[in-house]
Amino acid sequence: MLYADTVRNRSLSEQPVLIAIIFAVSCVVFALVGLHHTLLALPFLPQPEEHGLVTQGIATLVVAGLFTLNILLISRLRLRLQIFVVWAELFMCFLIFFFAFDLNFPFILTKLPFLLTQGVFTTLYVSAISITIATVLAIFGAIAKLSSNGFAFAIASFYTSMFRGLPLLVQIYLIYLGLPQLGIFVDAVPAGVIALSLCYGAYMTEIFRAGIMSIDKGQWEAARSIGFKFGLTMRRVILPQAVPIIVPPLGNQFIAMLKDSSLVSVLGVWELMYLARTLGQREFRHLEMLLTVAIIYWVMTIVFEIVQGRIESYFQKHHRR
Amino acid sequence: MTHEDTNAVGSEIIAIRDMHKWYGNFHALKDINLTVHLGEKIVVCGPSGSGKSTMIRCINRLEGHQKGTIHVDGIELHEDMRNIDIVRQEVGMVFQHFNLFPHMTVLENLTAGPMWVKKLPRAEAEDTARRYLERVKISEQAEKYPSQLSGGQQQRVAIARSLCMEPKVLLFDEPTSALDPEMVSEVLETMEDLAGTGVTMVCVTHEMGFAKAVADRVVFMDEGRIIESGEPVEFFKNPESERTKKFLDQILS
Amino acid sequence: MNTFKKLAAVAVALTMSAGALQAGDVLDKVMADGVLRISTDPAWPPQSFLDENNEMDGFDVDVARAIAAKLGVEAAFVTPDWSLITAGNWAGRWDISVGSMTPTKERAEVLSFPAIYYYVPASVAVHNDSDAQAHSDLNGRTIGVSAASTWEQYLRHDLVIDAVGVPEFDYEIDPGEIKTYGTDIPVIDELRLGDGVRINAMIGSLPNFLDAIKNGYPIRVLGEPLFFEPLAVAVDLGDEEFSAKVGEIVEALREDGTLAELSEKWYDFDFANTN
Repeated sequence: MLYADTVRNRSLSEQPVLIAIIFAVSCVVFALVGLHHTLLALPFLPQPEEHGLVTQGIATLVVAGLFTLNILLISRLRLRLQIFVVWAELFMCFLIFFFAFDLNFPFILTKLPFLLTQGVFTTLYVSAISITIATVLAIFGAIAKLSSNGFAFAIASFYTSMFRGLPLLVQIYLIYLGLPQLGIFVDAVPAGVIALSLCYGAYMTEIFRAGIMSIDKGQWEAARSIGFKFGLTMRRVILPQAVPIIVPPLGNQFIAMLKDSSLVSVLGVWELMYLARTLGQREFRHLEMLLTVAIIYWVMTIVFEIVQGRIESYFQKHHRR
Repeated sequence: MTHEDTNAVGSEIIAIRDMHKWYGNFHALKDINLTVHLGEKIVVCGPSGSGKSTMIRCINRLEGHQKGTIHVDGIELHEDMRNIDIVRQEVGMVFQHFNLFPHMTVLENLTAGPMWVKKLPRAEAEDTARRYLERVKISEQAEKYPSQLSGGQQQRVAIARSLCMEPKVLLFDEPTSALDPEMVSEVLETMEDLAGTGVTMVCVTHEMGFAKAVADRVVFMDEGRIIESGEPVEFFKNPESERTKKFLDQILS
Repeated sequence: MNTFKKLAAVAVALTMSAGALQAGDVLDKVMADGVLRISTDPAWPPQSFLDENNEMDGFDVDVARAIAAKLGVEAAFVTPDWSLITAGNWAGRWDISVGSMTPTKERAEVLSFPAIYYYVPASVAVHNDSDAQAHSDLNGRTIGVSAASTWEQYLRHDLVIDAVGVPEFDYEIDPGEIKTYGTDIPVIDELRLGDGVRINAMIGSLPNFLDAIKNGYPIRVLGEPLFFEPLAVAVDLGDEEFSAKVGEIVEALREDGTLAELSEKWYDFDFANTN
């Protein structure tokens, strides 16, 4: 959280002008969107064909009024409840959007087990292996980039420049098509894992580098003065302090990797995104599959976010400065 | 070789000869000569920017010098040396800002060196650690993290941390200047206590009371040079140079 | 470029393990392993797709199985991206493509086409609301098509099909704007939104349109097919023996009526023979 001031902000209910502005703006927006087209207006307009200007106007005013009232009520809640209610309402909006597609749910149900056992499983294990290798690459990359050895620095900076510079899809193609030309035969999954590891290793190198540089040089001096060599200093003093700092950006990378792993579907790996694009084709039910997969990705991301939150609070408790 | 040979206690442990150091074009240390014998307590003082911190940081090669020689326990310090960590085990250092490891408990801070550098078994390292914690009078804080301690307590932990390596020499780099006034005395008491045990100490400090009580020799530096050195009684009563007089007037008034 | 190719050839020759194919290489390996590895993309129903049991099915898949059966080996499927199949240089990852590929000149530089196994009519589809009655009504309109397909080449008046037994064709449409997409499916979805919402019409394979209409898409087929597209099996360059063997097998499948039968099964029409 930002560093909060000790003076309370005026709440919305104390600012009638602001309430009026919200109401006016929402009236204009709803009028422009044209509520008579949307699900929202259905309860107010029993016969869609008959809506004249008057009914439209009434619908707009009612909905805008409810909207403003909703904001006003939420603004009076306690912080925790407020967060919960806003989340719930936004999620409701998403569900309405989801149901608006008139999806075939029995079809989704028949495909769901396969999506989970084949798709989610493949996506998760490809991502997990890749992020592990990428982390190792990143630690060495960061150390090399900070070292005074020209050789190490050159290799590391070339590596980060190249693998951050090329589109991931191109890297996947290059590794899959290119390595066999050199006599190294890699299958689809290993090729995908190599590409993902190299690419994310390059991004994470910069994260680790920033983390290492953020540690006070007094820590290096203290470690040296009791006889620590470089490796020991890194392992026992610098990295343990850098890790809490780099957990948030690292969590970002994990989540991004989860979704970027879908790029290996071009190699014919049956991960989540590949199945989303192929499973519904025969029955022309690809929207069902895309939306289902969208939600599966989102759920996986939420799980990661929770894990990241746990790790962050662990470090906050145990590693105070 | 003019400012030495007084109060020889034991054999030479630190020998600095004709040493110079530059930061780029800035001539930070000029023609430094200093010998420290085993068991000696040396206090280095001088105005800020006089090079006193830089000089003691050269003794365990946290800083490098460009000219002259430094020998620690017979080993010469230079940039090509392979065994600097052995020298550093012999030379403990206490920093102005403590530099404790914030992610380790007090006990872990103390056992880190013995366990990972000297490869002592954990039990033995912890025994040593608790013994030194007792000596600096904070044994009850062993399981806490540094951030849970006061500044004075942190500095005492830092002293105990360097003692755990059982070094031949202890260097103090302005150990009380970052402390709140009411905490200075507890750290000074600890240091005086320590001085009584016969350990070799080189302290950069402005605490003249400490110098009078403990030092075998006081070294005065200004503008990168050692201006004069001598026994504390003589040094404070009859300083040789004008600069020393001026400095002492300022600091003691 | 030539020097580069030579250098590449030397490098490949030096490294041996993935070196250029020799006659008989692929055939020997297939017979030795007892497995024919077939690439086909299950994003193209009804040629190739995943059925209710999430297994490979479709016309191409059936043809591939028939070819494997004639060879007396098992059929195994891999599903690389289309661009990887058409790029050639398969490095032995799979042996054959049965994926409704049009044998164009460019593709013939990196792949070998042993046989054409069917001809698919390329047709025009419009939304039910469209007032278009003939192909010429679409002149100047926006037309959607999957990218890098023969249909796009047709729209750009740049279509060359140099295969035998292809009926003559004329360019009947002068599109206003051509919108291209990854595959067929997104184009049909664009058309579904309404006449002219995103596009006015699309070109694609007739069987595909019939399938979509059967699944309730509000579209209709406009007029007769524009042209017939020959579709071939493909193998990697180098092993002429394997290529010839595949050619023989496909001809045999045509003569004994297997191809016609499979075509009837999937399309209710015999696309295996043009006349």
